[in-house]
Amino acid sequence: MHHQFRTAQGEIEVTVAKQGEVWHLGEHQATVGSDGRLLLQLANGVKGYATTAKVGDVWWVHFEGHTFCLERVEPGASQTGDEGGLVAPMPGKVLDVLVEIGQTVEAGQTLMVLEAMKMEHRILASTPGQITGIHFSAGEQVQQGSVLLEMLEED
Amino acid sequence: MVSKVLVANRGEIACRILRACREAGLDSVAIYADNDAKSLFVELADQAILLQGDSIATTYLNQEQILEIATTTGADAIHPGFGFLSERADFARAVTQAGLQWIGPSPSAIERMGDKMTARKTMRNAGVPVIPGEEIEEEDEQEALIAIQQASTRVGYPLLLKASSGGGGKGMRAVERPEDLVEAAQSARREALAAFGDGRVYLERMLTGSKHVEIQVLADRHGRTIHLGERECSVQRRHQKVFEEAPCATMSEDIRSAMGKAAVAAAMAVNYEGAGTVEFLLAPSGEFFFLEMNTRIQVEHPVTELVTGVDIVREQLRIAAGEPMSCGELHLRGHAIEVRLYAEDASNNFLPAIGPLAVFQPPEGPGIRLDTGVRQGDEVTPNYDPMLAKLIVWAPSRVEALQRMRRALDEFVVLGTTTNLRFLRELCDVPDVIEGVTDTTMIDRLWPDGWSASIPVEIEDGALMAAAVSESSGLHHQIHSNAQVNDQSGPMSPFMTLNRRYP
Repeated sequence: MHHQFRTAQGEIEVTVAKQGEVWHLGEHQATVGSDGRLLLQLANGVKGYATTAKVGDVWWVHFEGHTFCLERVEPGASQTGDEGGLVAPMPGKVLDVLVEIGQTVEAGQTLMVLEAMKMEHRILASTPGQITGIHFSAGEQVQQGSVLLEMLEED
Repeated sequence: MVSKVLVANRGEIACRILRACREAGLDSVAIYADNDAKSLFVELADQAILLQGDSIATTYLNQEQILEIATTTGADAIHPGFGFLSERADFARAVTQAGLQWIGPSPSAIERMGDKMTARKTMRNAGVPVIPGEEIEEEDEQEALIAIQQASTRVGYPLLLKASSGGGGKGMRAVERPEDLVEAAQSARREALAAFGDGRVYLERMLTGSKHVEIQVLADRHGRTIHLGERECSVQRRHQKVFEEAPCATMSEDIRSAMGKAAVAAAMAVNYEGAGTVEFLLAPSGEFFFLEMNTRIQVEHPVTELVTGVDIVREQLRIAAGEPMSCGELHLRGHAIEVRLYAEDASNNFLPAIGPLAVFQPPEGPGIRLDTGVRQGDEVTPNYDPMLAKLIVWAPSRVEALQRMRRALDEFVVLGTTTNLRFLRELCDVPDVIEGVTDTTMIDRLWPDGWSASIPVEIEDGALMAAAVSESSGLHHQIHSNAQVNDQSGPMSPFMTLNRRYP
């Protein structure tokens, strides 16, 4: 998945991909533990736990004695509602989940329906791909920026 | 007799004192301002009373209100902690006159040490070496300026102008050249007058390359005045201590003994009672000079506690109750280091930072002590001092204490608010710190253009990956902090800092 972060040095783009339980960024690997911490294994052999927390749009990360703040640039921020990313563009309630984990979807297919500000908002797949994660079920409240679903994009 | 202690303070030191009261079997009363209602220290007291008012002056500095609460709650003693009213002789006097026990020295001892010119004269008379310099008694601006100019030729350059009522660097000016003297004297007097209502300044020769070494003293009403060895606090940033240790790495038995005797003489010269600290400058030659006496418990008292085994706050409570202090003959054991964790952006000129403590995970394990007034979920606000915690380690040797401090700082996780954690961690790798040859100008000398973290590029990669994976995995649903829910000011900028000063 593709993310953009704003740091003190400028904006940085990161694309991570998941295979099985393991996330990849180039030669670096990460797995998410049951306690919410991440076990990172870097290409140079460094291995350690990272603790993360999100405050507003900012991801705070502690890793190897260093603390970072990475402000996430919301992909939904500049997009129109129809194109909606896989994050909630505003706080609201999940009305319906239309896909299952493992399901293959077409570009433009409706994945989830949110109700926000008394209006229905459809979360659409922007590319063809496979659903790898569903974080909410119908009736649940979501915060702005919450990741609703995960999808492995087809190359 | 002391049975119920009102703690006239907040935050970390209030927690320290309230816990000591609990251990001593004394009832305790906390007082708190409205914006402290959810603070840890309020929980630790047997009774907590809300202060009316919406500023520090109308709450924690409000003598009448605090005395009234002491009376209505039936407290029979007041512990002032440090800062706030701790060195206010008028408050100590009002407490005593209200029939309550003041946990600290007498009002006259506070006064004689609080006025720096009086303190210098008292010390000279007691045979304690003071920094070469001259007091300026003239009150009138023109007369004072003439006297300062005349004194400057005798004191020599470079010199320091200091406010007689001063502290914390206010009303203090370093003067390198004679032509800068008049302007520096005028501005020091102006600043001192504004801050303390007293424009008197005195001159001191500037002793460069000196260490800041202080001696902890204890005195009881049974004729015993002792010292508990030294602390070295040379690593300072704008007169704010950040790294403190006991013992001093370069201390010899002879100097310790001489300095200890001088500190005891200083305390006895003002009939001191309770815990106090006599600060000295230790020159490379081994000569030392009285700087000032702090007539209260000090922030860095834990390092002395760890190497002497004396619980200084418990001794304060005992001494105030009229009992003899409990400690016998003292032996220094091992080495202790304290660092002060501040909510500040070390890489941005150390500006204070605010934000939620979304994660606050202190290190654990052998030889580690954490004195703090916050916990995970609290909000760091601009209302009070930005010190979040004191991390103190003890180990058998100085080398091992530094190793332990590095490990502890690496384990310490604080997310949601910018802190000086990394700055403290890098301090532990500075050669001067490793060798113990720090002096009071070290930070400015090492980082003349400000400090910034050196981060290996792979670690930065790892952090970016962690953020991306956390976002992709929806990890933020699993983290719940009160602060996050309460945050109504919109997205928190990671670089939010603000300017402020404290009295």
